[in-house]
Amino acid sequence: MSDIAIKVEDLSKKFSIGSNTHSTLRDTLSNVLSKQKKEEFWALKNINFDIKKGEAVGIIGRNGAGKSTLLKILSKITRPTSGRIEINGRLSSLLEVGTGFHPELTGRENIFLNGSLLGMSKAEIKSKFDEIVDFSGVEKFIDTPVKHYSSGMYVRLAFAVAAYLNTEILLVDEVLAVGDAEFQKKCLGKMDEVTQRGKTVLIVSHDSNIIKSLTNRAILLNKGVIKSIENSKNIFDVYYGQDEISNYIRFDNAPLKSVQVHYVDRLEIEVDLNIPDNVDVPHFCFMISNSSGDIIGANNPKYEKLEIPVGENQSKMTISVDSPRLRYGKYFLSVWLADGAKNIFVSRDCVSFDVTTSGKNDRHLGFIIPQFDLNFDTR
Amino acid sequence: MEKTIIDAGSRSILPNFGEVYRYRQLLFSLAWRDIRVKYAQTYIGLIWTFINPIFNLIVLSFVFGVVAKVDTGEVPHLLFTIAGLSAWTYFSTLLSDAGSSIVGAQSMIKKIYFPRIVIPLSKAISGLVDFGVTLICLFALMIYYGYAPGPYIIWLPLFLLLALFSGLAGGILASALSVRYRDFGFVIPMIVRLGLYATPVAYQASAVPESYKTLFYLNPMVGVVEGFRWSLFGTNPPDPMMFYSIAIIFVVFIIAVMYFHKVEATMADIL
Repeated sequence: MSDIAIKVEDLSKKFSIGSNTHSTLRDTLSNVLSKQKKEEFWALKNINFDIKKGEAVGIIGRNGAGKSTLLKILSKITRPTSGRIEINGRLSSLLEVGTGFHPELTGRENIFLNGSLLGMSKAEIKSKFDEIVDFSGVEKFIDTPVKHYSSGMYVRLAFAVAAYLNTEILLVDEVLAVGDAEFQKKCLGKMDEVTQRGKTVLIVSHDSNIIKSLTNRAILLNKGVIKSIENSKNIFDVYYGQDEISNYIRFDNAPLKSVQVHYVDRLEIEVDLNIPDNVDVPHFCFMISNSSGDIIGANNPKYEKLEIPVGENQSKMTISVDSPRLRYGKYFLSVWLADGAKNIFVSRDCVSFDVTTSGKNDRHLGFIIPQFDLNFDTR
Repeated sequence: MEKTIIDAGSRSILPNFGEVYRYRQLLFSLAWRDIRVKYAQTYIGLIWTFINPIFNLIVLSFVFGVVAKVDTGEVPHLLFTIAGLSAWTYFSTLLSDAGSSIVGAQSMIKKIYFPRIVIPLSKAISGLVDFGVTLICLFALMIYYGYAPGPYIIWLPLFLLLALFSGLAGGILASALSVRYRDFGFVIPMIVRLGLYATPVAYQASAVPESYKTLFYLNPMVGVVEGFRWSLFGTNPPDPMMFYSIAIIFVVFIIAVMYFHKVEATMADIL
């Protein structure tokens, strides 16, 4: 038996823009008559890689790089256009926590429903039931419909079901972006345990800490092709060095028209808004990270809500950030637009800015240069 | 250890039945979810389930029983109609629920892999609860009218199974078609409304002129409803044309499963 868990050969996936959406009979008839040319684009092109058994591998890349498409093909949700994949072992995916949960059902019923969605038998679910409940920490509410759960409880329960599955290969897509810090730590611990026990894990994440601490190797995707397969410690250097990111970006057909940053003592973020009127309580989030992928800071919508007032949907807004002195280097800004419940638009590391104030030979430790006053109290 | 090969080049025309069997627990979980959710919406949900069939019963009993006074043999018209209607309602509910099930489950389909056919299949199980309740009402009425089911009652499960396969055949086909053509969302209710009269729910199949018979038996539910009543009351045994109906059911069922399998590959991309 080979020691390869996943072998991907010449994998490609093509999407036809426009024609792949649902249509009416009339559209089909008119297409047959007029032979419209479809616009095509390759979400993945000639992907090749092997993953050994027991290996934990990260997948990184910008929006639209093909990460999610790759996971969807591996988990059989969608089929490749060409190529071949060999998977040795039972595979399950954690693509979006809580999919398949029904709000009217109790926690207990949802565990059974979700477990069977992931291909578990009733006996299997029963044997893991106590552990799942225990890990999720929702014992007291296990017979309450999940519509009464807080979003944190919801996520905890869903993660627990998937994490306790008896599978050899686990695919994870950004699931750890949710939940509170304590639970995230618990999940990371669980994931670590999973890899320690010899399971093969594939993780898509933007968080360099997750990639660095949980995986040994990482695959960097860019516009559908593999840019690099590298030790996880070094991959972010390639990621951030891969192409010039300017301090300005324009988005087409998006709720944000453009984003621009300036840094001179303080950070200024200029955003040109184009939010559709049907978005309820839009709010904006930003995150600053350095060229190793460490997060320097972000606004947390729970505490510092950047709410866009009614009637300002089509305006330009400027956010001035009083920042501590940053060390010399290149920094990246990620932006989100969300309504009360979900993300509407996300663009990771879309613009960058340079900090040169401390000089190239800056030998400071850490992320910031502390500013301090010195006072002597003479006795 | 399980081994999976995903090859863009090769593709079977038949679904992987072994995999569907492995996911059998999901079949019951989904059915249980549907039943729970329907009845969790308090007593209103329960009432709505029966309002439609009761409404049909009133209309049919009035038109066929009171106004047209159709011949129903020695069976009282009400009993006659309820028996036919219970099979018809199970079939039509299954047809429309299964037909809309894939479009209704799109968020799940886009995020988790499982054999998609389990979704329409599960509707056959959840529909059995309503059917069971109707059957209990029917038996209560039979006691009231002093009818004891004869030895033919052992054939009842067979006709139920035929109703199940007819409903699934149409439902699976419609669910796969509606992935690309949402128009089918409008077609199914039309078929159901027409079918109620094109099926001998409130009249006897023998009342249909001989010249229309071939056309009439194209509707697979004709044989099912007739057979259903025969097994309950021991009335006229089903016409031999019934085998023709059964053949249609299985041909459509096989086509539906194969077409569904074909669409399954691109379901997540199109929805």
